[in-house]
Amino acid sequence: MQSNALVTFDGVIKRFGGFVAVQKLDLEIHKGEFLAIMGSSGCGKTTTLRMLAGLDAPTEGEIRLGGKPINDLPTWKRDTPMVWQSLALFPFLNVIENVEFALKMRGVGATERRKRAGNWLERMQISEFAERNISQLSGGQRQRVALARSLVVEPEILLLDEPLSALDAHLKVRMQSVLQNLQRELGITFVYVTHSQSEAFAMADRVVIMSKGVVEQVGSAQEIYRAPRTRFVAEFLGSSNIFAGTVTPTGMLDAATGQHRLPRAMSGAAPKSAATLVVLDTRSYLSAVEPGPEFDWVRAKVVGEEFTGAMAKIYLETSDGSELRVQSGYDELAALPINNGQELFVYWRPEDGHVLPNA
Amino acid sequence: MRRSVSLYGLTFSLPMLIWQLLFFVAPLVFLIALSFWTVKNFRMEADFDTINWVTMYGRWVFWQSYGLTLALATAACVITSILAFPCSYAIAFKLSARQQQLAIFMMVIPFFTSYLVRVYSWQIFLSDNGIINGVLGAVGMGPFPMLNTVFATMIGYLTLTFPLVVLLQLFSLMFIDRTLIEAAHNLRCGRIRTVFAVVIPSARVGLVIAALFCFILSFGDFVSPLYLGGGDPTTLSILITDTTKSGQQWPRAAVIALTMIATLLAVAFAAVGFAYKGRTK
Amino acid sequence: MNDFNRNRFVEFGLRFYIFLSFLFVFAPIAASFVFSFNSDRFPSIPLGSFSTEWYVAVASDPLVWAGLRNTLFVGLIVAVISTALGFGAAYTDFRYRFFGKSAYLALALLPPTIPVVILGLAMLAFLSRINLSGQSISVIIAHIVICSPFAMAITRLRLSQMDPDLEAAAWNLGASEWAAMRYVIVPFAAPAIFGALFITMAVSFDEFAVAWFVSGLNETLPVKVLGFLQGQVSPRINAIGTFVFVISMTLVIFAQLLLTGGAKDAQSASND
Repeated sequence: MQSNALVTFDGVIKRFGGFVAVQKLDLEIHKGEFLAIMGSSGCGKTTTLRMLAGLDAPTEGEIRLGGKPINDLPTWKRDTPMVWQSLALFPFLNVIENVEFALKMRGVGATERRKRAGNWLERMQISEFAERNISQLSGGQRQRVALARSLVVEPEILLLDEPLSALDAHLKVRMQSVLQNLQRELGITFVYVTHSQSEAFAMADRVVIMSKGVVEQVGSAQEIYRAPRTRFVAEFLGSSNIFAGTVTPTGMLDAATGQHRLPRAMSGAAPKSAATLVVLDTRSYLSAVEPGPEFDWVRAKVVGEEFTGAMAKIYLETSDGSELRVQSGYDELAALPINNGQELFVYWRPEDGHVLPNA
Repeated sequence: MRRSVSLYGLTFSLPMLIWQLLFFVAPLVFLIALSFWTVKNFRMEADFDTINWVTMYGRWVFWQSYGLTLALATAACVITSILAFPCSYAIAFKLSARQQQLAIFMMVIPFFTSYLVRVYSWQIFLSDNGIINGVLGAVGMGPFPMLNTVFATMIGYLTLTFPLVVLLQLFSLMFIDRTLIEAAHNLRCGRIRTVFAVVIPSARVGLVIAALFCFILSFGDFVSPLYLGGGDPTTLSILITDTTKSGQQWPRAAVIALTMIATLLAVAFAAVGFAYKGRTK
Repeated sequence: MNDFNRNRFVEFGLRFYIFLSFLFVFAPIAASFVFSFNSDRFPSIPLGSFSTEWYVAVASDPLVWAGLRNTLFVGLIVAVISTALGFGAAYTDFRYRFFGKSAYLALALLPPTIPVVILGLAMLAFLSRINLSGQSISVIIAHIVICSPFAMAITRLRLSQMDPDLEAAAWNLGASEWAAMRYVIVPFAAPAIFGALFITMAVSFDEFAVAWFVSGLNETLPVKVLGFLQGQVSPRINAIGTFVFVISMTLVIFAQLLLTGGAKDAQSASND
């Protein structure tokens, strides 16, 4: 694991005056992986990326690139090209001049850099726009120019700061596969910052979830989805039902919604300790009649519904005010009377429950 | 980027700073010192004597001139603001975007014509056998003496400040939220009342700043009072030029100049305070 | 605006007022132009015959040529130095935050608010003290103080149209701060830099008050005009005035074309 690390954040803290943007960050980024850093605004994800690029300096701690500390290395001496949210293409240069810029800064000769830039334009399938001014290109084409511009120096790592946020939905999806394929082809490390869960889960090998400067969880998309480590992550993903309470002497969970069974793995839990049970919405089901004894269930009233074609997500509220959600195929729910205010049973298998590590 | 001071940063920031300190701040500060110098036998000597202040402030002519200049500048800024407002209002609200651009461009042109030449032209217009009297004479009226009057001086101030006041008022009016006006109409507020109840208060900052600049310019101008007003009565600015050029009494001129600066600072302070009263920047 | 609330007479009245305003503003300019070709010595109505004698008189006056030479010489140097100082200050405001920044900006932008009479007196006294008065360089020094705020305002406006990530993107791609300035900031700001050169030159070209105080015997053209004004009525003023107007307008039009032409690139590039 150690030799695989390309970037290491070692106890990195970033303060802006009195505000702590990034609290003690310890993270390793592996060679050749597609890492996404995800969270809402102000969580510290962009600050982390900027520190890696050298645009902000850590207040404390060390950042190592390829084993060497780079804290004191200015931006232009690091080999960490970035694709910006606004793309930051130079409006006074045409496409090929934009792409060859980094080579020009390295002192590569005119013919050589034209050739290399031209190769990258071909690779990104935008050769025909070489002499055009960037204002004449569409959003998707400009994305490709930005990528080519950063990759022309054949770096070990590419940083991306929410590059797809300005695109239309269908273009976004297309660019997602472009990026994923590109990363696999080149075999270099991508560090991708986004607030979009779907982008992160679609493309990344590993995802880092950050909130208020703290790393909540690091893992693959599946790991995070099935086994969130903190309540924040569970709530952030928005696809689980959360029951918080204390463990009873009989090994049950005493929550506001009633008493629920804990999965077998939790049989040794100490009584009176706090525990949080999490059940995926796709493992939660609805019934008009009381379910059998092999399930745990809660009574709740329907308060809302969402349809996405084949799937439906039903929102319910219990008598104690907890919000629950059930996600199912549309056909499965068709038989049930789902109207606003309708009281139904939400049930699940105890073994499908997951208990958060530190309650 | 790194917080520490870098050679790169200093290369760009220092030159302006040094230049302004050396050649803008230092001369003005020097004026203060100068006002305490004495003039003996037509030669200035560095000194610390309050005689210039005492003499100047003891002269009735000075206070008369001070009061006059203050009155003229105040009248100028009020008159110009009132005369400019319908024009800036019309440009802001009644013209299309392209027409607005054209109007703004045309209002900028006078800044790059010689003020002196425009004053000279007004002499042609206003003189006893000038253009206006010539036209009036053709219909059997006048001639009216217009040159060497306060009226002519005011025309001069208008020539100097009208374009600037229109532009400053304009920028402030253009940024008013139009929905406020529609809301007022919706609440049965008549058009003229809307102007006074909604438009003017919303643009208050810009209107006051425009008037302030008009005041500053008129307060300090010597060309209009001299060449259109006839130099009588004397304004403070004329007093300075006379004292400097003919009298060589620079320390006394410094006293006048410093009094003017103090007055302008007080007026500016009061104006900005009034403009932003009750609201944050 | 809602059509129901329009009143045809008010509309017409306001537009007519705009016309009157421009009439007032341009009347002296137009009169000067017309009378510069008028043969009469004392301009009045009715007009005399068409004549270019005043232009001839002005063109053959060596003092006027000397004044023009001084004005051009001063103007060129003032333009270059003011623009450099103004650009530096604008970039400083654009990029850096530091203690005392408001004071710095105030210092850079204050000169236009001080009456020229006072500035003239202060500069005269100060420059004499250090033996720098009464020469062309005195006028240059004074005009740089007056003109650099304009250069700063113009370049600062242009920089605020720049994508703030552009400079950082250049660093990120391997450009040092100096290289980023040379290959990114300056090319982007070029229209404003040229605009500032023209505008500062135009401002210097027309500035007479401070020049009058400090130029001594090395008079600039506007100072000469002031002299003419003080003398007898002289139609030469019209000829010079028209000439100066044409020059200034040319400079301003160039500046306007550069500024709006350059800005169009920025606008279409950032339209996403």
